[in-house]
Amino acid sequence: MFGPIVKPKDLREAVQRVAEGGRPLAGGTDLFVRIRKGLEKPGMLVYVGELPELGVLRATREGLEIGAARTHSELLESPLTEPFPILRKTLGTIASPALRAMGTLGGNLVNASPAGDSLVALYLLEAQVRIVGPQGERELFVQEFIQGPGKTGLRPGELVVSVFLPYVEGEPVSYFRKVGRRQALYISVVSLGALVWLDGEKITKARLALGSVAPTVVRPRAVEEALVGRLAHVEAVQDLVSLLSSLVQPISDLRASADYRRKVSGNLLLDLALFLQNRK
Amino acid sequence: MEAQRIAVGKSVLKLDALALATGQPKFTLDLDVPGCLVGKILPSPHAHAEIVSIDTGEAEKVPGVRAILHFGNTERIPYTTAGQGWPEPSPYDTVLFDRKVRFVGDRVAAVAAETEEAAEQALAKIKVEYKVLPAVLTIEKALAGGAPVIHDEADCEGVYDPKHNIAAAVDIPVGDVAKALAKATHRVEVSCEIPYFQHAALEPHCVIAYFDEDGRLVLRTATQVPFHVRRIVARVLRLDPKQVRVIKPRIGGGFGSKQEVILEPIAAALALRTGRPVKLAYSREEVFVASRTRHPMKVTVQLGADERGVVQALDMEALSNTGAYGTHSLTVLSNVGSKTLPLYNKAQHLRFHGKAVYTNLPVAGAYRGYGATQGYFALEVAMDMLAEKLGMDPLELRLRNHIRAGETSPIFEKIGEGREGKAQVVRSCQLEECLRLGAERIGWYDKRRSPRREGPWAYGVGLACAMQGSGITGIDMAAATLVMQDDGTFRLLVGATDIGTGSDTILAQIAAEVLSVPVDKIFVYSSDTDFTPFDTGAYASSTTYVSGNAVLKAAQEVRNQILEVAAQALAEPVDHLELASGRVVSSKTGKALTLQEIGHRAIYVVHQRQIAATASFTCPESPPPFAAFFAEVAVDTETGVVRLERFVAAVDCGVAIHPKLAEGQVEGAVVQGIGHALYEEMHFSPNGRCTNPNFFDYKVPYALDVPPIETILVPSHEPTGPFGAKSVGEVGINGPLPAISNAIYQATGVRLTRAPFGPQRLLGALKGRR
Repeated sequence: MFGPIVKPKDLREAVQRVAEGGRPLAGGTDLFVRIRKGLEKPGMLVYVGELPELGVLRATREGLEIGAARTHSELLESPLTEPFPILRKTLGTIASPALRAMGTLGGNLVNASPAGDSLVALYLLEAQVRIVGPQGERELFVQEFIQGPGKTGLRPGELVVSVFLPYVEGEPVSYFRKVGRRQALYISVVSLGALVWLDGEKITKARLALGSVAPTVVRPRAVEEALVGRLAHVEAVQDLVSLLSSLVQPISDLRASADYRRKVSGNLLLDLALFLQNRK
Repeated sequence: MEAQRIAVGKSVLKLDALALATGQPKFTLDLDVPGCLVGKILPSPHAHAEIVSIDTGEAEKVPGVRAILHFGNTERIPYTTAGQGWPEPSPYDTVLFDRKVRFVGDRVAAVAAETEEAAEQALAKIKVEYKVLPAVLTIEKALAGGAPVIHDEADCEGVYDPKHNIAAAVDIPVGDVAKALAKATHRVEVSCEIPYFQHAALEPHCVIAYFDEDGRLVLRTATQVPFHVRRIVARVLRLDPKQVRVIKPRIGGGFGSKQEVILEPIAAALALRTGRPVKLAYSREEVFVASRTRHPMKVTVQLGADERGVVQALDMEALSNTGAYGTHSLTVLSNVGSKTLPLYNKAQHLRFHGKAVYTNLPVAGAYRGYGATQGYFALEVAMDMLAEKLGMDPLELRLRNHIRAGETSPIFEKIGEGREGKAQVVRSCQLEECLRLGAERIGWYDKRRSPRREGPWAYGVGLACAMQGSGITGIDMAAATLVMQDDGTFRLLVGATDIGTGSDTILAQIAAEVLSVPVDKIFVYSSDTDFTPFDTGAYASSTTYVSGNAVLKAAQEVRNQILEVAAQALAEPVDHLELASGRVVSSKTGKALTLQEIGHRAIYVVHQRQIAATASFTCPESPPPFAAFFAEVAVDTETGVVRLERFVAAVDCGVAIHPKLAEGQVEGAVVQGIGHALYEEMHFSPNGRCTNPNFFDYKVPYALDVPPIETILVPSHEPTGPFGAKSVGEVGINGPLPAISNAIYQATGVRLTRAPFGPQRLLGALKGRR
């Protein structure tokens, strides 16, 4: 079904193997499923799960660096992710405990699925992706890195080493809602994440990100801007519902129709407002 | 009340619990037969096609391939895969391999090879030339004039009207329903529809066919019906039935999908052709597509009631999609009416009519609830609508209409198992108490009066009632052999088929109670056609009632024999003697003998004899268990998401022999029903290919999706049941579809009549209303 699995001794060798056409492997929670379905037939798998550079978890003055091979459960449990409640909220909804124990942040990122739950948090936090390759290191913002379903800015031979999350100013309220067909082990049909800065009941700043409603996660900038200065009440945002719906480009698939996704995208703004309103 | 019981009514340790919990190799495929070949089946890529030619030349050259079977080298004997009693009330419209394929996944050929890889390679190299025929993918198209004929073969038998794709049809009028509906003060009508549902048993269908030391064919198989498997396999392969032994080991769930003889004849044919053992197992995808499903159905109910809400007229019409073959088509159809209409027996004017129609889609078959589930969806939604029309509490409406102990319904006599039924009086019914206790538990009256609303979340409660049966009247027969050993313990041999339900344990409890010994003094051996007496199998909610009664009779006979031996030994008349706590004691002299002493004496000492008895029981009537179901939902009106807040099932199953297992049956059935209501649906491409044949895309409820199911066992005493017991295996699945639909209606004013009630469907309906 696939070629040999190699375990490089260091990052240099890993880069070399990947440049030779190897496919990086960490948790394998998506890759093995794809291989089993016959969607991929990699010649060689390069196991990067234990490379020290991909296992970092380091808080600096500017933010938190997370190695690409860190698992979702490690991040959920680490005190270092406490300043990023939105990250924890999204990671906590991924798949099931068993899959969270194997799946990695880097894996979720390079999959570049529009339904990738952690991506919503990374877009909201304006994360930077650190890449290493034959030509050395470089950094991309997450929205530059993700180019479409399954498509990233990785050039041949490159692999993701870590993700850097800058600290956000102030104390925004974190919101995440994932709508799907079931509660357990499901892929979102529509999801909305938000960071909202409040002064009393007034919104002073907002970042929104929607999953599963376009080829990539969407930041609806027009809605973010329009929210500033409004009260965090359901009635106060009602007129933005259709604007938000108009900013997504969903498809119809087995899980839901484009129409449904568009309508729910807008309606989730009301759910966000209600959440802000009821927050004590 | 009854005397103090020692086994019945106690949640004793399930006999197989320890072995299963510690992973002992108890299941079908756990047996490693040396030299076993692997079987694989070539599925049809077309929904409807004729096979012009099959070329196996290249496939046979694959190293390790030992046999390839197809229509060209197997005998054509029409049969039904329905594992029913003889004569099966299902059409003989199936052959091992046909010249025609009738759905995507239909079997074209089978390979036996030394390895799985070789078998798969061979499948890929079989060259089949098809003449593709127009496919029929809906009931409407199947019934339309000039529709392609799916079963045009000359040798099919028992099909109602093959030229018009009608596998089965019924029309049973009682009184004059049209007139009574026209005269009724209040009338409602509703059509409810379900799509293709999958059983989702954890263990896929599987079988090992091998030969014993004497060359007899042994089928170790995951089945609910070992005795029917033996009979049907012998017939289809022209074997002497004496040469066939069927063993059912532990089973990982059946839910009706294993009341089918699907893989056994293929595995047996491959074994006979090669002279080698053959293992044949479905993949999960094959289970979805090529085992069985619930019958997709549209059921239309018309109710007419007087001003007090008493139902005077009830018309029910069912349009059933049986898929490519008609297994269980007539009986499932019949049960839509026969298991539902008697519940509201005040109506004197009734009509049940319907058709089961062939399509070029997967084959529907038996599925827990067996038509009643589809019938109750429509009936109980209609009752909810009637209550609204009357301005009456839905619970009160049920109280005014439901059948009571001592009453009957003409339906019992009119509709039987594919033929006329038998008149029956309901002897036990605590539905009224079920309704009372369930309402109290969920807080029915308060929640109906003032429904909660929190932002976009609308709350609602809904209820539904249901009944089922206990076995098939006049048809189901079970036998049990009980043997006393020289150490005073017992061997209980039963044909009954424990498919995970715990029936081995329950039958041991019944024997233990009669013999006044702890359950662990009974060793149970079940479901082996060489060594256990006949039993129709695990279906139609029959085991506790039918097999249980057989065990009860056998145990009573053995008990009498024990007393006779003791009377001789103690030189006292039998009527002075009492069997209690493992001893026979004389009430006159106080002299006593242990069971061990009695067993030893009978085997070795004087008047030697084997204390043993075989008894059988034929289902004389089918006492219905009753249930009231209450669902509370929260509906997010902005996303259409339904959160099930609570689910209460109050069930009258007579005396629960093993309360924990009875609750387990209710919980399992309710969770499956919740899956039907909220999540499950098989999807098909325009060519008839199932597009979600796996658990990734076909959503069954997980632990996070269901609240704790609150089961209340409401005791009654069924005089014809063993220790007062009735069935409990199926009734629970009839509740969730209507109860959840009715709860969503109370929450939102939207009446959902097409399952599942997914977010998109619900949001669309909400939008339509605004």
